[in-house]
Amino acid sequence: MSIDKSTKYDRQLRLWESTGQQKLEDSSICLINATATGSELLKNLVLPGIGQFTIVSDLPVTPDSLSGNFFLDDEDIGKPLAMAMTEKLVELNTDVQGNAINDNLNNILKNESPEFWNQFSAVVVCDFISSDDLDKLQDITWNKKIPLFVLNTVAFYGSLKLIMPETTVVETHDPSRLFDLRIDNPWEELKHYADSIHLNDLDDTDHAHIPYIVIFLKALTAWKQDHNNLPPRTYPEKKSFRFDYVEALSRDIKSETNFIEASQSVHRALQSTRVPQPILNLFENSKIKDGNLNYHTPMFWIYVKALKNFVIKNDVLPLPGNIPDMASDTTNYIKIQSIYREKALKDMNEFTAEVFRILESVGRSEEGINKALIATFCKNTALLHVAEGSKDLCNNSLINKVLEEYRLLMISMDLQACL
Amino acid sequence: MTTVNDDATSSDWDGRYYHVDQVLNTPGPRTEDSFQAGDAVKDFLRNQCKILVIGAGGLGCEILANLALTGFKDIHVIDMDTIDISNLNRQFLFRPKDVGNPKALVAAEFIMQRVPGVKVTPYFGKIQDKDEDYYLQFNIIVCGLDSVEARRWINATLVNMVDEENPESLKPLIDGGTEGFKGQARVILPTISSCYECSLDMLNKPTAFPICTIANTPRLPEHCIEWASVLEWPRVHGEKKLDTDDPEHIGWLYNTALTRAKEFKIEGVTWSLTQGVVKNIIPAIASTNAIIAASCCNEAFKIATSSAAFLNNYFMLIGTEGVYSYTFEHEKRKECPVCGGESLDITISKEWTVERLIEMLVEKQDIQIKKPSLSSGIKQIYFQAPPQLEQATRPNLEKKVSELVEDGGEVTVTSSTLPFNLSLRIKYT
Repeated sequence: MSIDKSTKYDRQLRLWESTGQQKLEDSSICLINATATGSELLKNLVLPGIGQFTIVSDLPVTPDSLSGNFFLDDEDIGKPLAMAMTEKLVELNTDVQGNAINDNLNNILKNESPEFWNQFSAVVVCDFISSDDLDKLQDITWNKKIPLFVLNTVAFYGSLKLIMPETTVVETHDPSRLFDLRIDNPWEELKHYADSIHLNDLDDTDHAHIPYIVIFLKALTAWKQDHNNLPPRTYPEKKSFRFDYVEALSRDIKSETNFIEASQSVHRALQSTRVPQPILNLFENSKIKDGNLNYHTPMFWIYVKALKNFVIKNDVLPLPGNIPDMASDTTNYIKIQSIYREKALKDMNEFTAEVFRILESVGRSEEGINKALIATFCKNTALLHVAEGSKDLCNNSLINKVLEEYRLLMISMDLQACL
Repeated sequence: MTTVNDDATSSDWDGRYYHVDQVLNTPGPRTEDSFQAGDAVKDFLRNQCKILVIGAGGLGCEILANLALTGFKDIHVIDMDTIDISNLNRQFLFRPKDVGNPKALVAAEFIMQRVPGVKVTPYFGKIQDKDEDYYLQFNIIVCGLDSVEARRWINATLVNMVDEENPESLKPLIDGGTEGFKGQARVILPTISSCYECSLDMLNKPTAFPICTIANTPRLPEHCIEWASVLEWPRVHGEKKLDTDDPEHIGWLYNTALTRAKEFKIEGVTWSLTQGVVKNIIPAIASTNAIIAASCCNEAFKIATSSAAFLNNYFMLIGTEGVYSYTFEHEKRKECPVCGGESLDITISKEWTVERLIEMLVEKQDIQIKKPSLSSGIKQIYFQAPPQLEQATRPNLEKKVSELVEDGGEVTVTSSTLPFNLSLRIKYT
């Protein structure tokens, strides 16, 4: 990305980073019908720099098409609508290519082969179209796994429906900032490091600069020794852990900021290391059942299969390796940080080997496999998100039920009228 | 292009407001009794209503365009900023050629070009430059701001302006705000519904790093950047003020922070992070701004026309995972320093010094006053300005509050940035 782009897109890159930006720039969107809502939608994609957009409409600009549409003006009256709107929209961002098709959906469906739609990464239908056309379009986009958005607005009301088989997200940019610290389940190097620090031998300054990861590891070990090797589970136990095991290690809990912070962050020590249920659910997906995995399986599901194998072997997810900031002197913090990073790297290498093994088993080469993507996947395994969609525009069974009730109501009212 | 004309109706053509008229021509099931369908409401909206937009940035651009398209024709806009390259990813009234020019002026010009017959009057400056008489001329005020300080100021000003004898003095305030995929829109009826100050405790605490961490035990790249800007810049450059918009200044900070990070083996100091930390940058995208601005403008339209019930009173949008929104009535706070009237009780230790109390006022979530001045009755406790008064009251900083104020005594807190007083009732433990 050039300097210019990183300045221009700075405020959004802080949200979706360069990977998100690249995906946006590789995308092409098709808008069926050039309404005011459609122009608003395209504006919000042209500004952040979508690769291309295409507007499909065979209408001319009329005085009332200007009502509510900021991307037309009175000089456009009489011009083809798709073209006029495209011209105004591309002014917003020179990085974006805009195309206008002066035709209607019905003709395109009749005259073009389904391959016509391959050029789009998403299709949006604004305003009403005939249900025949919508059905046809839906069949095509569903089979091609192209997301189809159907939207309508009427005065203060609006509706949006997304029709696509599946969407998978690796970088969910989770805002909850949960850290996987494994206090309850430390690996050899981490345990060794914590054991190498003897709190009683430290002078007061050093004692007040021991990061809480070490404090937690020591406190939890002590607790387990006193409690049949079980962690604190009930509220009174957790409270006792906090006061009698964490704070008790402090020489002065009013002034040692690291211990004050430890006491306030005690939930991090009590977090149990386990594979989250949504991730376990992914392991049951039919796409990764033996026999279903094949040459065409999307990379996301290859990764999930590799993850499943990793978990079978290790009982835990690959370590993401990032730790929160905490009161500490620089040396100890950097040391702990590197212990977590090294473990994360080790896990990632094991995971990568598993990915390559699976690829080989389905007859695919390692070539073109992006190591950076694997690293990103490993950092985010606890937060993977999969949404499965439905092809039905509406919940027909619900509608039929409502209609049936309405019919019965009408019959009973008729009967009452007879009486 | 139709020329802009003082007579607001001259450039209307048939069908111009086709879609909006669907709502205004006839009453619907949810319109209020006061709704005057047809010409009367259209005349008010298009020829009489005067609306003020505060901020011509991400939200402001959207708000201006929406208002113009829904039929407001007398729009005023205030903004003190000039256009920067990083605005172009969402502030769609600006083009690369406009960089460096005042936002209010360019935005007004663009709207008048695109939507003929609409008059947009820009003011390039601060909201604090204007007095009550100025704000009294508007029917509705819509805010698209990124500053808490400015919101508190306009909110307090509008609450203070309300005169019970004069219903015209009550100006509905519609406030929008966004951060990344999240945002909120709210309607404030000054003195009647919960005001901005009432909800101050809903704001996230700004990240602040302890000075000793920055000075002695840096662990994060952010600590190194803070060290460069807070400690090294004044040490090396003396009186010269740090300008976070100057790439040379950012460059100096970046290099200084990078050197320190290397020394402590800390990874992750980048140009972008340096800029983010020193300018406290908040992610901003066009689509969230569009949703929030549209909500604000729908409310402005509903208030102006009575065509539907308006928001009561807080709409929250969370678009990080799917589309989640929640609307609720935020309630007034009795001890709100702006609209509540009751003083705020605080309990402190008898040993606390005035300085410690000031520290607490700056940090406390529902107060957040920068540089507060304190007095008790006619007694001056500590004043930040003018310099003579500051000097005269400075010795009090080290005194105990309990020596100066009796148990249950009232302390008045003021700040030059805020147009209101906060009264505290002090109790000792």
